[in-house]
Amino acid sequence: MHAIKTEQWRREASFVTLGGMDFKEAVKDKDHWDGTLSLNDFSLSASTFSDKWKMFNPSFPPWLWTPWPKHRLSSSHKEGYLSLENVCLVKSHEKEKEECNISLTCKEVSNISHREEEPFDHATLVCPGYEVNHYDFHIVYSPSFRVPVLYFRSYHSDGQPLPFSEIEKDLPGHSAELLLESKWTFITQEEHPYLNRPWYKLHPCGTTDWMKLLCNNNTSLNKNFIEQYLVSWFSVVGQVVGLKTPLGMLDTVVSNES
Amino acid sequence: MATESPTSARKVVVHLRATGDAPILKQSKFKIAGTDKFAKVIDFLRRQLHRDTLFVYVNSAFSPNPDELVIDLYNNFGFDGKLVVNYACSMAWG
Repeated sequence: MHAIKTEQWRREASFVTLGGMDFKEAVKDKDHWDGTLSLNDFSLSASTFSDKWKMFNPSFPPWLWTPWPKHRLSSSHKEGYLSLENVCLVKSHEKEKEECNISLTCKEVSNISHREEEPFDHATLVCPGYEVNHYDFHIVYSPSFRVPVLYFRSYHSDGQPLPFSEIEKDLPGHSAELLLESKWTFITQEEHPYLNRPWYKLHPCGTTDWMKLLCNNNTSLNKNFIEQYLVSWFSVVGQVVGLKTPLGMLDTVVSNES
Repeated sequence: MATESPTSARKVVVHLRATGDAPILKQSKFKIAGTDKFAKVIDFLRRQLHRDTLFVYVNSAFSPNPDELVIDLYNNFGFDGKLVVNYACSMAWG
């Protein structure tokens, strides 16, 4: 940071006006996009996300769409959630500062019945010298907030759930700081909307606000952006739990700009 | 790193652009080594703005991981010889 000298700053309230012109052609005739997503757009965006993840992050387990036909209120086939399961976050403690999360594929026979039909690679993972914590991540659509929500749970190799104090140690440094500041408005344990079990959840109240910020001044806010919604969203949310979004996934998000 | 390639040793011009209610920096453009991580840009902004929670994003499309190298971001998303980085102060989860 040597090239910079200390600056003073000033406020410019008028700086923020949304480019009204750009937004005229915005999604579904809305002049000002409110940052939300419809259920249909969620499933569209989810399939784009999962395809790109597979393409640009092949060493990682895939995000799989889990349809949810069992849901009684379901009127369409679009309902379901994305799931990334059996991720092992191995944190090397020597390099704590580097946030060195080595993530490995760890496929085991899952105890969730609907996954049994899937072709499984039964290769077992050997992680000598490390205590391995397993993580399951789900991206679930919230009909009340109209945004995607990240749910996760964590367990030891023997299936025993991790106490939150241990999960905290696996989270990147900036998330741990945030937890101290805003304990009840960041990550809390709640019932998984489909599985009805206690999972941890990232609070969605602020999502529309930062999604709006993200696409501020975006001259290409259109159907393409909606399709890329989850990719953009995940670039923010993934950081909280230490999941990196490969740059290649983001390339097409911005390609319209140039 | 003795065998540093010329591309990674290159300096990158970063243009910091305020959005939302964020204060504008007097000097908004600066050079940073391509080998630096994006975390350095975030830390700089935090210090300048005296804020811990910032929302930092690129090309109105995504928020780069702090581990990302500046040169990689520049190569993928820079144009006109610079990497435009937007920042906002209002970042809340719940």
